[in-house]
Amino acid sequence: MVTPPWRINEVLDRAETGPVCLERDYDLKLLVPGLRRVIKEYDISYDPATPVPQDNTLADNIWKAALDLYLEIGTLNTDTHRRILFTEEEMKEALENFPGKFILGFGRDSKEIAHRKIEDSRRPFCLFSPDITCDEDLFVPMSMAYLQEPLANGVCAPILDEVEGMPIRSGYPSEVKGSVAHAMMFREAARRVGRPGIFLKSVGTAESDAAQIAASNVEWGERLTDGRFVACITELKIDNSLLNKMVHFHTYGCYVGCLAGPILGGYAGGPEGTAIVGVAYHLMGLLINQAHFMNYFPFHLKHTCNTMRELLWVISTTYQALARNSNFVSMSNGFAAAGPCTEMVLREAATHGLVSVVSGSNLWEMAVAKNRHKNYATPMEARMAAEVGSGVAVSNISRGDANELALSLLKTYEENIEDAPLGRSFPECYNVRKFKPSEEYMTLYRKIRKELEDIGVPFIY
Amino acid sequence: MTVESLFEALKKTLDEYEPRKAAEIAQELLDAQVDPLKVIDEVLSPTMEEIGDKFDRMDIFLPELMGAAEAMQAATSVLTKHIQTTTERPVTKGKVVLGTVHGDIHEIGKNIVKIMLEVSGFEVFDLGKDVPSMQFIEKAGEVGADMIALSALMTTTMVSQKEVIELLKALGKRDDYIVIIGGAPTTITWKDEIGADGWAETAVQAGKLAIELLEKKA
Repeated sequence: MVTPPWRINEVLDRAETGPVCLERDYDLKLLVPGLRRVIKEYDISYDPATPVPQDNTLADNIWKAALDLYLEIGTLNTDTHRRILFTEEEMKEALENFPGKFILGFGRDSKEIAHRKIEDSRRPFCLFSPDITCDEDLFVPMSMAYLQEPLANGVCAPILDEVEGMPIRSGYPSEVKGSVAHAMMFREAARRVGRPGIFLKSVGTAESDAAQIAASNVEWGERLTDGRFVACITELKIDNSLLNKMVHFHTYGCYVGCLAGPILGGYAGGPEGTAIVGVAYHLMGLLINQAHFMNYFPFHLKHTCNTMRELLWVISTTYQALARNSNFVSMSNGFAAAGPCTEMVLREAATHGLVSVVSGSNLWEMAVAKNRHKNYATPMEARMAAEVGSGVAVSNISRGDANELALSLLKTYEENIEDAPLGRSFPECYNVRKFKPSEEYMTLYRKIRKELEDIGVPFIY
Repeated sequence: MTVESLFEALKKTLDEYEPRKAAEIAQELLDAQVDPLKVIDEVLSPTMEEIGDKFDRMDIFLPELMGAAEAMQAATSVLTKHIQTTTERPVTKGKVVLGTVHGDIHEIGKNIVKIMLEVSGFEVFDLGKDVPSMQFIEKAGEVGADMIALSALMTTTMVSQKEVIELLKALGKRDDYIVIIGGAPTTITWKDEIGADGWAETAVQAGKLAIELLEKKA
């Protein structure tokens, strides 16, 4: 199967010729009432007692509601003020032609990523990522620390905000320079840990289309076996700069991911609307962003994390809907409230890995400390999520079991989301020369792991 | 209907997001010779504050906040026409030039701040997203703004908040405006580092901060 891409020119044409719509009207006259309609029509309701629902009808109804909504409103191009709309026939064509699996990376280090089912016993693809900016001199050590993790099937590097002493500014030459440096150093880091062919997701430093394009180079930069992102604009919108990236990535020939983070509390409203928008984003990712894989990170408007009860429900129902009704390849991206080297972040990581995998997702772990503090992320949080997520798959635990475990885990941290501890930065809890966690963090990790095992959380080993 | 019951009905239009009805009741109150400032001070402002607090606690979500704000604005626009012709009190608490900084296309936080500032009584000039730094300064001069509010959602665009302040200093205009900043990657430390006057963690706090800083300046 050849898709994606799926009919790129058709999408580009509609981005300039579709029905005219102002952004405010798209948000308030199409999305908000459209969501209210489908929530009612498909009888979708959030139940705080079941962060991992076991109701297949609910999952199917969320899928139907998302399909209905997306066929009605489509995606808005905020530059041309045009809506890009699709017919049901086109949607079916794109869905049916989606292969559902890809080989990412190359050679010995390559790994298959595939669509997963609910309670799937195959181990998830685990992508390890700090999801945060770091000091320039920490870029290589931090990247190497993530790259050497045994469960990492792919890695995304930290983001640079400075290059050779210059602050990096989006849209400025410093961004092009920083993005090229990012790509080069990340390749070097992968080779130095002995995994030159591992799937690399880059270039997070490049926000603009120009900087992304500058980093494409088989010899020293982004390879054809690596992955790049075309993000979405909240909610379900796109612009020409993002479409430029999509066209470039596909003509270059690398793997394309779609970055989608519906906001609970924003235009999507509550958990029901956020889950529906989450599924709709996957449709958009296939049809507009032309993605091979999704990075899905629904998050809370105020707390910018997704390990609380409502968001776990959103993650679980989105993935159950996708698992039962599509062939999408998607990674669930954890956002924790607490920072590294805290008990809370390890519990949050375990919960996110547990809920995501049992519901049918692969993993992308993990943004921590509410994703706002430079240098605050380590591979240990991702390791916890991946060890639990992989354990969940091989132990064949059910959604019901996962729900009980999630409820137990929520009790240990839910009340502290608002004032979650910041913890320690990467250089404070890692030996940055040897890329090893501190003894303090290892002791804490073992302690929490033991606690989790005692309540029945499965680990891969 | 008594004035009290009209007050109650007006409050309900905000709770139930009914702008047309809000405007009608505002007109009824004017027809009943009720001081429009009393309506704003005793009904609209406290109700909107309650709704803002509910939003801050996430008891309600953005569409509901926007609906309430629309109802309040519908009522206020009827009432303020009358205030201008009958009293000396300024209609707005101040003028704010607002936008998401250069290179940044994230708008949702900025849009919520806009609502909170408007319902707190400010006149807001929203420049949208990806706004070049100098445009904030030009607009502030053009409208006689009291405040410039800068939103940034990315570490690689936060620098533009600093640039606006540096340009203000270079032009000798730094003391002409209160500058507040916000956005997910920003912190109080960043505010101090770049010399902004205020930083708010949430949009609701931004509304309160703006009032506080303007009162301090006055």
